[in-house]
Amino acid sequence: MKAFRFRHGDVVGGLDPAEVSVVGLLLDQLEMLLEADPDDVAGDAVLERLLPPGHRSDAEAAADYRDLTEASLRSAKADDLAMMRASLPDGGGELRLDADQAAAWLRTTNDLRLALGTRLEITEDTEPPDEFAGEEDQQLAVYYWLTALQGSLVDALADGRAARK
Amino acid sequence: MAGPLAPERTPDTTVDEASSLDRPWVTIVWNDPVNLMTYVTFVLQELFGYDEPTATTLMLQVHHEGKAIVSSGPRERMEHDTSRLHAYGLWASFQRDS
Repeated sequence: MKAFRFRHGDVVGGLDPAEVSVVGLLLDQLEMLLEADPDDVAGDAVLERLLPPGHRSDAEAAADYRDLTEASLRSAKADDLAMMRASLPDGGGELRLDADQAAAWLRTTNDLRLALGTRLEITEDTEPPDEFAGEEDQQLAVYYWLTALQGSLVDALADGRAARK
Repeated sequence: MAGPLAPERTPDTTVDEASSLDRPWVTIVWNDPVNLMTYVTFVLQELFGYDEPTATTLMLQVHHEGKAIVSSGPRERMEHDTSRLHAYGLWASFQRDS
């Protein structure tokens, strides 16, 4: 990964081929979850985190909120996901994202981290794996890789905001 | 840190002053172990127009105290603010101010 930087109004970075494959797979998994039949994924912890209740103690207010917002939240996530997928450099390479693409990457990489973090039951004390003993260590390594990717994207966008002032 | 910080209303959450007083609802962001501190600060600036020191103070309140009030106003506006935060994956909810 080439860390993101703000350059002439765009956010530029780079991914190597293996990283593009991993991101592609993660996007496919997230898309499947978001498009799944609600009955098949009822109570799924990741969906619950991606589309949380709007009210914590009033079930009726939470249901009203869901009726009001869930469809548009889902379609915004789907649009972001599609935009991120379309801007992945085929086979790896340089990335140049305009403002809309960078915003889609920002929200979608966060959703990917929320999804992985929820599945892996990340806490504030969780640390990157020292060794790769099993599938969970590998997923944890992907989670921390996504964290670095998103962190550099946030920094680049913050630099861009500062530059506009 | 002192009590909950209820920020001034912002361009995106402009409400009629009287109805705001009549209907005291708030939008809360809760701490979670995944969202990056820099990301939370960035999103609060992006959505509410807060300057960086204000957004950072709110983010640190979320981090250290477990939650922070990020906007206040009528219920409909707080539902809207909550959904804008959910679009960015922040762990947010609305409730009547206590």
